[in-house]
Amino acid sequence: MTSVQITGTMLFQLVVSGLLAGGLYALVALGLSLIFGVMRVINIAHGTLLMLGAYTTYWLFALAGMNPFVSLVVSIPILFVVGAILQKLFVHRVVNAPELSSLLLTFGISIFIANVAMLAWSADYRSVEFLTGSFLLGPIALSKPRLVSFCVALALTGLAFVFLHRTKTGKAIRATSQHRDVAQVCGINVRRIDLITFGLGAALAGAGGSLVSVMFAVYPEMGQVYVFKSFLVIVLGGAGNYPGAFFGGLLLGLVEGLASLFLTAQLSEVIAYILLVIVLLVRPTGLLGGRA
Amino acid sequence: MSPMVGALSLLLVILAGLAVLPFFGSGYVVSFSIQVFMWMALAGSWNLISGFTGYVSFGHVAFFGVGAYTGALLITKAGWHWLLAGLAGSLPAAALALVIGYPCLRLKGPYFAIAMLGLNEVVRALVSYFEGFTGGGSGVSLPPILSIVPVYYAMGAVAMAVTLLTYRIITCQFGLRLLSIREDEMAAEVMGINTARLKLYAFLLSAVFPGIVGGFYAWYASHVEPLSVFPLLTTITMIIMCLFGGKGTVFGPVLGAGLLSVFQELVWARFLFVHQAIFGALIVGVVLLMPRGILGVLQERYRLPRTI
Repeated sequence: MTSVQITGTMLFQLVVSGLLAGGLYALVALGLSLIFGVMRVINIAHGTLLMLGAYTTYWLFALAGMNPFVSLVVSIPILFVVGAILQKLFVHRVVNAPELSSLLLTFGISIFIANVAMLAWSADYRSVEFLTGSFLLGPIALSKPRLVSFCVALALTGLAFVFLHRTKTGKAIRATSQHRDVAQVCGINVRRIDLITFGLGAALAGAGGSLVSVMFAVYPEMGQVYVFKSFLVIVLGGAGNYPGAFFGGLLLGLVEGLASLFLTAQLSEVIAYILLVIVLLVRPTGLLGGRA
Repeated sequence: MSPMVGALSLLLVILAGLAVLPFFGSGYVVSFSIQVFMWMALAGSWNLISGFTGYVSFGHVAFFGVGAYTGALLITKAGWHWLLAGLAGSLPAAALALVIGYPCLRLKGPYFAIAMLGLNEVVRALVSYFEGFTGGGSGVSLPPILSIVPVYYAMGAVAMAVTLLTYRIITCQFGLRLLSIREDEMAAEVMGINTARLKLYAFLLSAVFPGIVGGFYAWYASHVEPLSVFPLLTTITMIIMCLFGGKGTVFGPVLGAGLLSVFQELVWARFLFVHQAIFGALIVGVVLLMPRGILGVLQERYRLPRTI
């Protein structure tokens, strides 16, 4: 085994790649964080919703030649509707139930949808070859699809924050996640807020899927890794702390990027897990503060 | 006492029937029964921690997988007898439960569930990584098994041991204390119950049996690999079986594992391609329509004793 010299350029490259991945984690995790914050439901189906977004983009690209980034205007509303339907039919029944119910319910929904997707579209790996190559910035290479996806993810996350802070519905969502009963007493229709929140969470997952599809393979099980990672991001940022989810996402990307310097991809998962347990034990309110 | 005597004699008849089954049943029946016993033991051990204390172990298959690898490696590399190797599978499972349970059982609600979900992924990643020892992604192959009848008795004994232990726990102070943790942990603590220690004991007990079952499974299946012994689906299956029969009861996991195994066998044979979709729909149905399970409903409706 030859020893590898770690240069400053290499380190910088890894930091940049890590942050680019982190932007996407932040977007996907924000969706999970909204649902968890408002309803205390861990949506195991989040990765499956991401997969549906990715397939939406893939088919629009493959059949109609639509620009994958433009296809967001289709995948976001579609996933919002899918999310709202799931909430209306199933999830609303487990909002106040113990976590076991929501974990199992969303897992059941998840394998159901994944199985149907496999029957409909087969388990083949598919790819959206839209942007390829890299921008060269001195010695640093920036993969084009990753950079553009990162920028779009950032813009979408920003939009979501504007929605949460500036609109009446957004404020109602935040109020419900802070204190459900008080929000209800203040005249907020929490059932409606639940519906919008789940739709919004699904839409963010779907947008994440559309952006993932230009970088990685699209297949029915592609979303699985994102559930645990998104939850890790929520824990890092603090439950109910939505800006925290953003920084948590960037942090996770950074840690994974740097860990890849010393470890294989498999072991970086181990690092992420140890990080999760330590943060949960030492600072259960998240690094940036939030609710325990 | 007459219904009690009736129930006991029925139980004895069933046990006697199962004891002589390998002499009359076909290989298929014996093999299917081994799987049913396996699920009974797994669902029953999940019940010990999650049914009694309410802490949802969402990565319980990790103990099964660790046991399976221990069994496989002891048989192939150290030449142990499969029965000893299988029993030895309980030791690393218990060690893992101790190391993980000590910090993680302090986490509440969904955080514990997610930590356990992560644990399973981590153990799988580690097993795949240490290729020289574990064979990496391709796993460990064991010598072909000549007769499955001994495994039938071994697996049946584990299923029976779990059920007996559950009965013993539910009828003693330890069990009542665990139930009080499930109902209201803070109140339990205020009453002087050392909840941290009791949760850890329950967690250890619930990890030991999947370890043994895993060890026997390795011998029975003749092959272990990360994808076959660490799937999240196995955790979910044991949970759903326990839930379907009635969690927190003695015979709930037995009933749930039996009924759902039969159901699964029928579905597998006929609808291979939509098997997962049907299982997904079944999960949603159980969670929404009968979260208390068959025995839970029967207990409520017919005032059956708490100890069934």
